Amino acid sequence: MRDDVSDATRRASPIDTAGNAVIAKAHAAGRQRRFGQISIEVRRSASFPLRLFALAAALVTGLGLSAFALILVGVPAESLADEFVSATILDPMNFKAVLVQAAPLILVGLAAAMAFRVRFWNLGIEGQMIFGGVGATLVSLLHLGPEWARLPLMGLAAVTCGALWASIPALLKLRLSVNEIISTLLLNYVAYYVLLHLLYGAWKDEDGFPHSPAYAASELLPNLDSGVSVSLVLAGGMTLLMTYLVARSRAGFYMRFVSANPGVARALGLPVANMVLFVVLVSGSLAALAGFVVSSGQEGRLTQSFFPGYGVSGVLIGFLARNNPVAAAVVALLMSVLVIAGQNLQVFYGIPPSMVQLIQAVVVMSVAASDFLVIHRVHWIRYRA
Amino acid sequence: MTTFFVTWLATIPQLAVPYALAALGLILSERAGVLNLTAEGLMLVGALASVAVLLTFRPDPLVAMMAGMLAAAAVSVLFSFLVIVLRVNQVIAGLVIVFFCQGLTSLLGNLFGWTSKAFSGLGPVSLGVLADIPVIGPILFRQDVIVYLMIPIVFGVSYLLQRTRLGLRLRAVGESPEAADAMGVSVSMTRFLAVTAGSALVGLAGAYIAVANVKVWIDDMTSGRGWIAIALVIFARWNPWRAAAGALLFGSIQAVIPKLAAAGIVLPQYLLMTTPYLATLGVMIWVSIRHLNGPSDEPGALGQPYVREERR
Repeated sequence: MRDDVSDATRRASPIDTAGNAVIAKAHAAGRQRRFGQISIEVRRSASFPLRLFALAAALVTGLGLSAFALILVGVPAESLADEFVSATILDPMNFKAVLVQAAPLILVGLAAAMAFRVRFWNLGIEGQMIFGGVGATLVSLLHLGPEWARLPLMGLAAVTCGALWASIPALLKLRLSVNEIISTLLLNYVAYYVLLHLLYGAWKDEDGFPHSPAYAASELLPNLDSGVSVSLVLAGGMTLLMTYLVARSRAGFYMRFVSANPGVARALGLPVANMVLFVVLVSGSLAALAGFVVSSGQEGRLTQSFFPGYGVSGVLIGFLARNNPVAAAVVALLMSVLVIAGQNLQVFYGIPPSMVQLIQAVVVMSVAASDFLVIHRVHWIRYRA
Repeated sequence: MTTFFVTWLATIPQLAVPYALAALGLILSERAGVLNLTAEGLMLVGALASVAVLLTFRPDPLVAMMAGMLAAAAVSVLFSFLVIVLRVNQVIAGLVIVFFCQGLTSLLGNLFGWTSKAFSGLGPVSLGVLADIPVIGPILFRQDVIVYLMIPIVFGVSYLLQRTRLGLRLRAVGESPEAADAMGVSVSMTRFLAVTAGSALVGLAGAYIAVANVKVWIDDMTSGRGWIAIALVIFARWNPWRAAAGALLFGSIQAVIPKLAAAGIVLPQYLLMTTPYLATLGVMIWVSIRHLNGPSDEPGALGQPYVREERR
C-alpha cells in the first residue's frame, strides 16, 4: 500500500510547489480553461463580523428550511411564529416547562463540551445518564441515610456511577488506544440492556409495570419558592463551576494545551493522560447528573425511556456552543424552547416528535456548513491569456 | 444437538450479510480517506426506502432493495457535500447525518403509515438437489439471493481496491491526498465516488435487514448495527475479506442468542442482549492490544479534509 503511493509521488515529481500545481495541471492535462478556477485556502484567522455573518446566515438557512418542512407537514405558515415564540416564552405555563426541560439539556451540553475540550468524543452520554439514574434509584430503594440527606446522597451516587461508567472508555482509550467513538456508543446499548434487566427484574414496581417503585416525597427535586426547579439551579451552578474550571483554573489551562497539541503537551511533561481521564470523569458525572435530574425532577422514578435523544442533543449543544460552558447553557435553553414547541405541535397538529430531531439536525448542519466561510478563504484564480 | 447446530449455522449467513455489506461500503469510503460514521443513519434510510417501495408498489423484493440503495446513496450526497466540499469535521458531519436520518425516517414512516406493517419480503432460494443434502443443504443451499451474491460482491470490492487503476487512485487519495493531487487525480471527485458507492452498499445492508431479516419497518430498527459495522472495519483493518470473516463472526454471535433460549437454556434475557455489543468491544480491545506498537493499517489521511492551499 505504501509502495503504491510513493510510486505515485515519484511520477508526479515535476510539479512541486502547490501554488503552481493548479495552473500547471490544467495546462498539462490540455484543458485550457478560459477564465480560471476556484481556489480554497485555510485562513489564519477570521474577523468577528465574518463570524457573525456566517452564524447569522446559517441560522436563517437552518430555521428557514425547518419552517419549510413544518409547513410541508401541515402547520399553517402564519402560526409558526406563534408556536415558537409566543406560545413558549410568553406563556407562563409553557415557559415553566421550558425551564424544567432546560436543566438536563444544559447538563448534557456541558458534558459534551467538557469532553470535546480534551478531544475526547464522548458519545456515551446516554449510557452515563442511565447509570446516573440507576445510582440515584439504588439510594432510593435502599433508603440510605436520613431523609434530609437523601437527595444529596442520590446525586452523589448518580455521579459516582456515571463517572465509573465513563471511566471504561476513557481507560480503554488511554491505555489501549481503543477508539472512544465506537466504545462509548456500544456501551450505551449495554447500559440500556442493564437498565431493562433491572426494570424487568429486581427493581420492577409492585404495579407490574417495568419501572422502579416511585420515589418518596423526600427523594424528589423540589421547586424553590419562586417556582424555579432546583434542577435548574443545579444546572446553573454546574455551568458556573465549569466556566471556572475552563477559564480560571490550572486544569483549564492544561485542557487548552492538551487540545491544541497533545504531543507538545506530553513532551513538556504535562500530565496529559490524567488530564484527559479527569475531564472524561467530569463529563460522565455531568451526564449522570442529567440522568438524576430527569429521574428525580421529572419522572419521579426510574423509567425505561427517560434518556433517549439526550445524548445526541448534548453533542449538538456542545458543538454549537464551541465547547464553551456559558454558551452551552444558552444553546440548551434555546434547544429546550424547541423541544417544548415540538410538544405543542404534536398536541395541536399531530406532528410526530421526530420533527424536533430533524429540525435540530438541519440547524446544526447549517451551522457546521457555515464554518466553511470562517475557516477557508475562497478566491478565483484568473489565468492570463 | 445436531439440529441445534444446523439451525444455528443456517441462520448465520442472513445475519452476517448486513454487517458484511455495511462494512464493505465503509471500507470503500474510508480507504478514500473519508471517515464515515453515517452507517447507522444510511442503513435506516435504505431500510425505510425499500419498505416504502415494497408497500406502495409491491414489486419484486430485489427491486425494493435497489430503491433502498439509491435512497441511501442520495442522502450520502449531503454528507459528501458537507465533508468533501465544505470540509466540515467528519465526526460531527457523520453524527449529524445519523441524527438527521433517524429523525427523517421516523417522521416519514409515521406520516405515511409504513410503521409496523408486515410484508412477505425476500425468501430463500433452494438450490435443487444441493438443498436436500443433510446438514450442509440447509446451511449452505437454502439461503436467499443476496447471501449467494455476497461472494461476488466481496470479491468485486477487493478486486476493485487492489487490482484496478480506479482502486489505486482511491487508495492514493486516502493515503496521501497531496501526492494523489500532484499526480493529477481529482481528490474531491474520487472521494465523492467512493462515498456514494460505499453508501449504496450501506443502504443495501439496511434494506436487507428490513426486507429479508425483520420483514417490517420499525423506528430505529437497525439498533446499533451501523456502529458495529464501523467497529468491524477497524477489526478487519480495512480489508474486504477480513471484513467478510468478521461479519460471519458477528452474525454467529447474533444467531446463537435466540437459539440458546429455544434450546431451553435459561439465561438473563436482557443481559444476553448485550452480547453483540460486548463482543464488538472485546474485538476492538483485542485488535488494539495486538497492534498496540505495530503498524496500523489505517489509511493515512483518514478523517482529514484535504485543502490544496493549506499552509502546513
